Amino acid sequence: MNRSRRARAISVSSALVMMVGVGSLAGCASEAGGAEGEQELTVLFNQSNEAGSEWLAKEYEERTGVKINPVLSPYDEIASNLALDQQSGANTIDVATPWYVSLGDLAADGVIQDITDWVDETPEIDVDDFIPAIWEPYSTIDDKIYGLPFDGDTHVLFYNKEILERNGIDKPPATWDEYLEQATTITENESADGIYGASVFGQQSPLILGASFANRLAGFGGSFLDEDGTPTIDSPEAVQAAQALVDIDDVALPTPAETDFGVGNSAWFAGKVAFIENWTDLGVKSEDPTTGSEVAGKWGVQLLPVGEEGQEPRASLVSGFSWVITANTEKRELAEDFIEFAASSEVNAALLTESPPTGVDPSRLSSLEDETYGKEFPEIQEVNRATLSDALEWPTGKNATQAAQVLTDELASLIAGTGGTAEETMQRVQEQWETLLADD
Amino acid sequence: MTDLATRRRSGPRWVRRGFVAPTVLVTVVLGLYPLIFIVGAAVTESSLGKPFQSVVGADQIVAAATDAGVIGSLVRGTLYALVVAAASTILGTAAALALWRSAFAGSAARIILLLPLALPPVVVGVLWRLIFTPNGGLLDTIRRMIAPGTEPLAILSDPVLAIVGIAVADIWEWTPLITILVFAALIGIDREVMEAASLDGAHGLRLLREIAVPAVAGTIAAAFVIRLVLAFKLFDLVDVMTKGGPGEATTVPAWLVWKAAIEQFDVGRGAAITLLLAVVVTLITLPPILIARRSHG
Repeated sequence: MNRSRRARAISVSSALVMMVGVGSLAGCASEAGGAEGEQELTVLFNQSNEAGSEWLAKEYEERTGVKINPVLSPYDEIASNLALDQQSGANTIDVATPWYVSLGDLAADGVIQDITDWVDETPEIDVDDFIPAIWEPYSTIDDKIYGLPFDGDTHVLFYNKEILERNGIDKPPATWDEYLEQATTITENESADGIYGASVFGQQSPLILGASFANRLAGFGGSFLDEDGTPTIDSPEAVQAAQALVDIDDVALPTPAETDFGVGNSAWFAGKVAFIENWTDLGVKSEDPTTGSEVAGKWGVQLLPVGEEGQEPRASLVSGFSWVITANTEKRELAEDFIEFAASSEVNAALLTESPPTGVDPSRLSSLEDETYGKEFPEIQEVNRATLSDALEWPTGKNATQAAQVLTDELASLIAGTGGTAEETMQRVQEQWETLLADD
Repeated sequence: MTDLATRRRSGPRWVRRGFVAPTVLVTVVLGLYPLIFIVGAAVTESSLGKPFQSVVGADQIVAAATDAGVIGSLVRGTLYALVVAAASTILGTAAALALWRSAFAGSAARIILLLPLALPPVVVGVLWRLIFTPNGGLLDTIRRMIAPGTEPLAILSDPVLAIVGIAVADIWEWTPLITILVFAALIGIDREVMEAASLDGAHGLRLLREIAVPAVAGTIAAAFVIRLVLAFKLFDLVDVMTKGGPGEATTVPAWLVWKAAIEQFDVGRGAAITLLLAVVVTLITLPPILIARRSHG
């Protein structure tokens, strides 16, 4: 073997050794990465729960060493982002918190996992401690469990005591008629100074305008579906609820159609509106210095008004969120462990009083009796107990998301004055719902 | 000999194919694949999580073509695109002519002009939403100063004015593009032609109308086509400013497609509306494209 051949042979051998070495190192790195990868979990959160996501990530990492990567999404885009993530094959999300109304569509599309067996076999989840009115709509589709309740999210009526006092109103409204009357008085007296009787969430989104309608539907004693699951959205109560939205339009913070959560809440914190229907956590935010609230100590809260005096108030489950496990995650066990922790009674109670506010409302019976919550926010804890008796829930099966959008679009047309009467509007919704929810 | 000749011919042929390959690949990836996907989704039951479930033929396309909401949005979108494209082209051309004849056509003026273009559409939407907000927005503040005690001006929640509000924001955002394109064409006009026209007695507006504008007519027509297509694609401003409302007052086709496919999980219906929109856009943009070609010719 001459020198050049020997040199070539050495070079080739060295190259092979290096390739094997690099390959082995790469393999080790890959395994190490895989092991590390298993200790991370990517969780898709509603943007409103940003502080809650940070608290959960920190607490869970401290307890288990597992890193949580929170991904934030606008509340009305969680379901579609989740579906696109799974359908595209990206599969970056392991756990998510979609609006409970979208559970049926996500399950039908195979985007989330059936967790019935795990829930049945895990007594630590303590299903009996979930508020019964919240448990079923937030978890179950066709007798199978797809989610665990995260954010209870019922609406109540907050009022600004100072504004009421200035206008000679000594008692907040018990009925929706009184609410309209009081709001009209305040707007007439103070709108020149930029103060209005009510802030009404009316932007054309199911979670915004749909929530305002659901509040009135609950108050008038109506429901979205009857006991057999057939739509009853053209009932006299539903028509009254739609009409109540039209009536308040003229005296509310201009204009409901442009009022989303940001606009409405800003007006409330600035002391520019007397009434606002909102999640119970608004009380926590109203007292928190980090929100810039000017109404700390000046507000009161009560259950939503009803149709007639003496009628039993009813909670409205407008926009709660559930824990789900994505269909294509390879970290099922870790995901189970995380949501067992995040949905626990202990965590729900802790999230209610954290600062900065987490945007989370009670989902557990024990939270309704929690000592810290009761001590810091007794009025809010009390109104949350309304969920104990009964609550109005949205349809949750297949096409429920589309049904909610149909209702929202028709209501927006009604309020804009282009949809005919309230009765005609609700009849159109009923017809479309009968088709959409027929497969349910 | 024959083999050698074949090899010589085949060598350059493969090289030629190699050079063309990237273009073909880009066309397939950017054009053909989406088209096949959209047609496939339109003729099948397709949801966001499960596309192409079962073939339904032309059912969804027929349903979309006969749906009053879809027809309404296509008509609304077409009228909107024509009006906004015409307004942008007229204003953009006027601004370009003014710049061309002005002493202030320097870099500062061009940077100011480019600002709206540089902003992301979502930011433009937020900006104009703040201007139109009926409770403390810029217009409302002016209204309070000029006519205190009057009703707030609620542009974005008015079924007629809402689309006008979006059009104003849209025109503000994209008119500078027309200005830049036309201005670039104007500075390319042969100086001798302008001097000759001046010697022949053409000055001021006449010089612009009879010499400058005809000289750049092809560019103006091409800019109009670009603006028309941009106006048909309107989505961001609607999402930020009105969410398609009030009612259906600002529901344009792109918004309707997004709502059907992404928000309601009905990708099949979204694809069917997209195909109808493609037909409408082709029919509407064909005449100005032909005019632009003739002008350039």
